[in-house]
Amino acid sequence: MSSNISLIIGREYTTRVKKKSFIILTLLLPILIASLIVLPVLLVLYNEKNQSANVLVVDDTDIFINAFEGSEKLTFSYQSGDINQLKQEAFDSEKYDCVFHILNNSQGLKSNLYYRDNLPSGLQGKLESQMNEIFFDRILQDSLHIEPARFEKLQELTKAEVTTVQVDDKGVERENIAEMNEVIGMICGFFIYFIIIIFASQVLRGVLEEKTNRIVEVLISSVKPMQLLIGKIVGIALVGLTQFAIWILLTFAILGGVQLVAPNLFQSETATELAAGAQAGIQDNVNIFQTINDYFPISFTEIILCFFFFFIVGYLIYATLYAATGSVVDNESDSQQYTMPVTIPLMLSIILIPSISTNPNGQLAFWFSMIPLTSPISMMVRLPSGVPLWQLLTSMGLALLFLVLCVWFAAKVYRMGILMYGKKISWKEIFKWLRKA
Amino acid sequence: MNIIEVDQVTKAFSNHLALDHVSLSVPEGVIFGLLGPNGAGKTTLIRILNQITFPDSGSIYFKGHPLEADDVRQIGYLPEERGLYKKMKAGEQAMYLARLKGMDRSTANQRLRVKFEQYGILDWWNRPVEELSKGMQQKLQFITTILHKPSFIILDEPFSGFDPINSNMLKEEILQLKKEGATIILSTHNMASVEEICDEIALINRAQKILEGNIHDVKNRFKKNIYAIEMASDSCDMEPLLQGRYELIEKQVNPNSVGYSVRITDAKQVNGLLELFMENGSIISFKEVLPTMNEIFIEQVQTFNRQNSHE
Repeated sequence: MSSNISLIIGREYTTRVKKKSFIILTLLLPILIASLIVLPVLLVLYNEKNQSANVLVVDDTDIFINAFEGSEKLTFSYQSGDINQLKQEAFDSEKYDCVFHILNNSQGLKSNLYYRDNLPSGLQGKLESQMNEIFFDRILQDSLHIEPARFEKLQELTKAEVTTVQVDDKGVERENIAEMNEVIGMICGFFIYFIIIIFASQVLRGVLEEKTNRIVEVLISSVKPMQLLIGKIVGIALVGLTQFAIWILLTFAILGGVQLVAPNLFQSETATELAAGAQAGIQDNVNIFQTINDYFPISFTEIILCFFFFFIVGYLIYATLYAATGSVVDNESDSQQYTMPVTIPLMLSIILIPSISTNPNGQLAFWFSMIPLTSPISMMVRLPSGVPLWQLLTSMGLALLFLVLCVWFAAKVYRMGILMYGKKISWKEIFKWLRKA
Repeated sequence: MNIIEVDQVTKAFSNHLALDHVSLSVPEGVIFGLLGPNGAGKTTLIRILNQITFPDSGSIYFKGHPLEADDVRQIGYLPEERGLYKKMKAGEQAMYLARLKGMDRSTANQRLRVKFEQYGILDWWNRPVEELSKGMQQKLQFITTILHKPSFIILDEPFSGFDPINSNMLKEEILQLKKEGATIILSTHNMASVEEICDEIALINRAQKILEGNIHDVKNRFKKNIYAIEMASDSCDMEPLLQGRYELIEKQVNPNSVGYSVRITDAKQVNGLLELFMENGSIISFKEVLPTMNEIFIEQVQTFNRQNSHE
């Protein structure tokens, strides 16, 4: 009879995978993600190209002569004289793209940036910040009366730097980047949330479909209700895994393709930072994992393993509960009053993601990562910041225990529910079913 | 031999008793009519036979052994509430249901093509079920019920939703299945079809079996010694002659004949009755009137309900 389960899994899987909506979503998302990675890089590149500019500085104050720091694409030249005349000459000769006029003004540092065709993006900001820095250095230097070389040394010595170091139970110290932990945790939490929302609710809809179109009676005259339920839950889980696999492969394939077509795309200085993750995936798997491993209090592999654990257990808990819900209602709009008790913990854990990620070892984080309905999300949010082993194991154990309870509950309710038509099933009645068999 | 024996089966739901110590046996190779008003417990009994639900007490024997899980492969079930996956293609869906009954892919495919052809829906093999007409969906569902050549078939209101032509086709198919050796339980409110094709019947009312047996025996058991006599119109008026001796129930004057419906108190009086008519005119026909299943159904149910409400 186990072949029946594989038949059911097969049907649940193929009908969903063949759906247009599945194909569209599966193909579209990687394109979206890839373009989210590639577009900023392209934008930066485009801007960099525009940024190449020759600037003529006309400084009436004499403070900024030869002080601006240029780059390969940005050069500064200095002249003094009548601004109107210099401006005219600069633009006519086409030697300069911009003319920067610093006014000698008692009311503060006032300046005008003249340009004719294109204003290089970011130039305005760059000039402002450099002007501030130069000006303050100048004031400091003047009031301290020290020579430039010593001043530079002093500057270096007074530069503030804060390194965060986490100390674990065993006293092992580890430099880590708190923000990075938060981000990784949040991503994992949201990911699990979306998996549950998307795929567990597909279980609900599937159960409801079979009930409302009455095919369920034919089915359970051939197979046991439990086989039908297991087949459905596993089938839909496989659909989810397929989708993820395609998403990941396609995203990398697209990025790889972009890399092939434009090999220099990710090489540019600024772009490299932006595309670090993507590029690492393509070229430098081993290294990036090594680097990531150095950051985390627990290893990256552990995070991945825990992620899969909570992903599977979380999905199964909600899928079985949603299946039970689907079996007791007659139509989708009715289902909400029954899903409420289940959905509230889910909503709560998503609302609490920010507070848990900023304080991953607080009371709130602790309790929510223990309660099985919220732990798949809350624990994943905490995990990258380091969780004591006993807490992790307790949380996993409780989740597994709760899953067994859910399966028992769903099996009872599902068996009875799918054959009840036309009448509202009260909680009282559900409790009766549970006590009975 | 009995293919199914139901022994003292009781099933209660949270607020009512659906079956109350019901016992009945279905002989092999017959068409068995399972009759009863709505809510009598028929569907519950059918679900128990299909192992969709299980009795609180009592047992079911299938071909001599206690009913077990694997027996479902020898059973074909057409529920009253029909249902198919609307978006799934007709052929694909039929294949799926056939394989759930344990058929291998190639046999299922082969038999399905034959049946689809026979029922004229082969062109719809690759169409989603929702595009099929209601009649075609009924046919599709019937095909999936019998495809695995079950030896025991349960049809719950099989004729609902069929037009007269398809209804007739279905009737022929049921008789054919019987000829091939299958046993069929037919649960229906359509008494005409019961009289036409059923060999045995059982009547369930308010969770209890109140009648069971061969359909001819049942009819004879409830016959009321009523005879219908048709006389040529030039015969004497029989009404005054019958008075005092026999009970005249109805007299009907037709253009060329007169029909009488007469009840006798004792079966032995039938020859005397015939003689009386023979002496007074020319008889066109003389026959005993057996009750219809419809009449038996209504009377039995009403009598039962009256008795039980007095208690």
